Amino acid sequence: MRNRLIGFALALATIVLVTAESGELGIARDEMIYVSSGAHYADWWGHLITSGFSTSRADITHAWGGPQLTDNNREHPPLMKTLFGISQRLFHDKVKLFSDELGAARFPSAVMAGLLVLLVFTFTVEVWGLAAGVIAALLAIFMPRALFHAGLACFDAPMTTLWFAVIYAYWRGLPKKLPWQVGVVFGLALATKHNAILLPFALVPHLAFLIWRDRGGWRRLLALASIALIGPLVLVALWPWLWFDTVTHVTQWIGFHLTHVHYNYEYLGQNWNAPRFPWHVALVTTLFTVPAATLGAAGFGVVAWIKERATNPDRARAPALLVFLSAGVSIGPFLLGSTPIFGAEKHWAPAIPSICIAAGVGCVWVARGLATAIGDRVKHAPRIALGVVATAVVAAAVSETIAAEPYALTWYSTLAGGDAGAADLGMNRQFWGVAARGVLPELAKLAAGKPAPVYSHDASPAWGMYQRLGMLPKTMPDSGSEQGGIDNSQFAIVIHERHFNRHDYMIWVTYRTLQPVYVLRANGVPIVSVYRRR
Amino acid sequence: MLAIPAIVLLVLSVWEVFAAHHDATSVPGDEAWEAAAKVVHTGYRPGDLIVFAPAWNDPVGRMHLGDLIAIHDAARMDAARYGRIWELAIRGAHAPDVTGEPVFAEEIDGIAVRRYERAPAIVTADLRERLATAKVEGTRARGPVVELQEVGFAPHECILVATGAGPVKLTFPLVPLGSELVGYAGIADVFTRRDNRLPGRIQVAVHDVLVADRALGVDDGWVRFAATTAALPDEVTVTLSSDAPGRQICFAIEARR
Repeated sequence: MRNRLIGFALALATIVLVTAESGELGIARDEMIYVSSGAHYADWWGHLITSGFSTSRADITHAWGGPQLTDNNREHPPLMKTLFGISQRLFHDKVKLFSDELGAARFPSAVMAGLLVLLVFTFTVEVWGLAAGVIAALLAIFMPRALFHAGLACFDAPMTTLWFAVIYAYWRGLPKKLPWQVGVVFGLALATKHNAILLPFALVPHLAFLIWRDRGGWRRLLALASIALIGPLVLVALWPWLWFDTVTHVTQWIGFHLTHVHYNYEYLGQNWNAPRFPWHVALVTTLFTVPAATLGAAGFGVVAWIKERATNPDRARAPALLVFLSAGVSIGPFLLGSTPIFGAEKHWAPAIPSICIAAGVGCVWVARGLATAIGDRVKHAPRIALGVVATAVVAAAVSETIAAEPYALTWYSTLAGGDAGAADLGMNRQFWGVAARGVLPELAKLAAGKPAPVYSHDASPAWGMYQRLGMLPKTMPDSGSEQGGIDNSQFAIVIHERHFNRHDYMIWVTYRTLQPVYVLRANGVPIVSVYRRR
Repeated sequence: MLAIPAIVLLVLSVWEVFAAHHDATSVPGDEAWEAAAKVVHTGYRPGDLIVFAPAWNDPVGRMHLGDLIAIHDAARMDAARYGRIWELAIRGAHAPDVTGEPVFAEEIDGIAVRRYERAPAIVTADLRERLATAKVEGTRARGPVVELQEVGFAPHECILVATGAGPVKLTFPLVPLGSELVGYAGIADVFTRRDNRLPGRIQVAVHDVLVADRALGVDDGWVRFAATTAALPDEVTVTLSSDAPGRQICFAIEARR
């Protein structure tokens, strides 16, 4: 009971922290699409439930699909978008829990972040004890990039939660006769993001190992049957677009991602937009985007797992191997050199719970060694050693998190030398146009109330929302895209990414100046320039 | 021995706590830049070039000293024709445009202000300025036109030709050549470079004698070439080609004494 209360307290604290943090974040380009699609989806379900809305092909297509691969955002499954929409309708339109629609739309992501912390805590406590569980949960909270993503109405943070929920449900279901839960959770993961289809690549080898080691226990294959049978049913139930022409629509959904365009991504000084990509992108990026102390503790956790594998009380279910496979499978595709790398660490974020769990175990292991070394010379040595080690490692994660927000996509850990060190190394500056929010007050000040269209560059999809939220005067509309937009503008912003340099040059020529009037920086690194027409 | 892992982890953690704070505050702010800009304004002479290092800090440099930098200079072919170059650098970086010892150096709150002086290259002809005199042959999707283009993620004022079905030939008559013909070329536009990975090619001939022949890969950036020439007025022919229709090849060539 005590552990459960601690777990819920940590989860609640996470939800509060993420909700507060999300209010400081700019708007991600994709977020607008998800929020707007989510509102349609939520309305459709609302009509279906309240007034028996038609489930004809035409009506479903109108809300959920269309002839083009991206109509109604049908290239992404609907679970989180639907929750974003329901949250808007419920917590903004009706209950007024949130003063703005965006805050309400982002709330389900915050809840998912809380759920992840609860799951990490619960799993770790059950296998490796309370101390490891608390440390792992705290490190999962203070993971700078993950905290940032949890604040957005996007899929990456929720996918991390549901990925790990599948791992947890599978592990819990191993001794059960009918492990239906893992199938249901796998279906929810599938309905969140396409990378859920990788999960069996972690579970099948784990199960194969157990059966090989135990020379039997075939009944455990029921977990896979649950995944194979119940998972797809849940996906289809949640996604009306799959209620007809199911095979075609699933093929189109997966096919879209298998042939996804390669966005531009800077890595170690080069702009990458076509394979083959360096095999080490995921490893180096993870090295630079997870706090160093967390990584160090995780390293010791792996050592502890190897050294103490024979004495693990849950040896029957091989939890350390499961955690390792979970991380390996989420990162594995990015070692191939052909998988798109543009999303950076968010695309292999499901590895985060594994890192945090290993770190929790590692902290406890090194603290135990320290306590043994101290011996009886100090009273309560085990507790003191654990307290010192845990505080130090968590404090390091907290200090990195403070440095990272609110422009966490520009943040890199101190192993890279921070944001500026990473800029020296030529690491990706940012994406999604989120940083534009930081120049809105300056733009409003410069315009001084006069009508002034703005070339909003990569923030264009979010511009209307910024105005609706009162962050920018209505007299400063988006002037349009590319050269036409610059021609029509009085102000122009450029959100700095290497491949966006061309926007600076177009503005220089049109405005006849290369001198920005304001440059927003994250820890000293330029992220947005503001130009004013002469 | 048992305590070693804990000591390692504690040292790492404490280092990270302090280093994270230090990293976040280690880049000079606007006050330092204003002071550095004042030094440059005081010593600046028309024709000076101002560069910043590392390149990622260029927007901050331009914000404080952009009034002294013409677009033409920022989009230069190279820095050889500048006799005086100001370099403003942070974090121990150096701009690729400067070499040797500076004649002036001052450190201002983390910004190194340095001035380099050298004998500038004497340009006897710039083909960009002579485009109107050129005879153009071959089908093309666009150009030739002198424009500021992104090539290799940097600004370059260059002659842009979007290739058509076959080679495009530009013949510049009576170019007053010096002892050297120096040029650069590359493929403009990041998105067409991504979507079509086929290279381009530039061939330069003086009086029908091939003096430079360069393949231009999509990731090659701004590619330099040079040839020795006789200091006489002569015909320079530039031939651009690519198997990728619409390949945007941009080049600049100077004859230097």
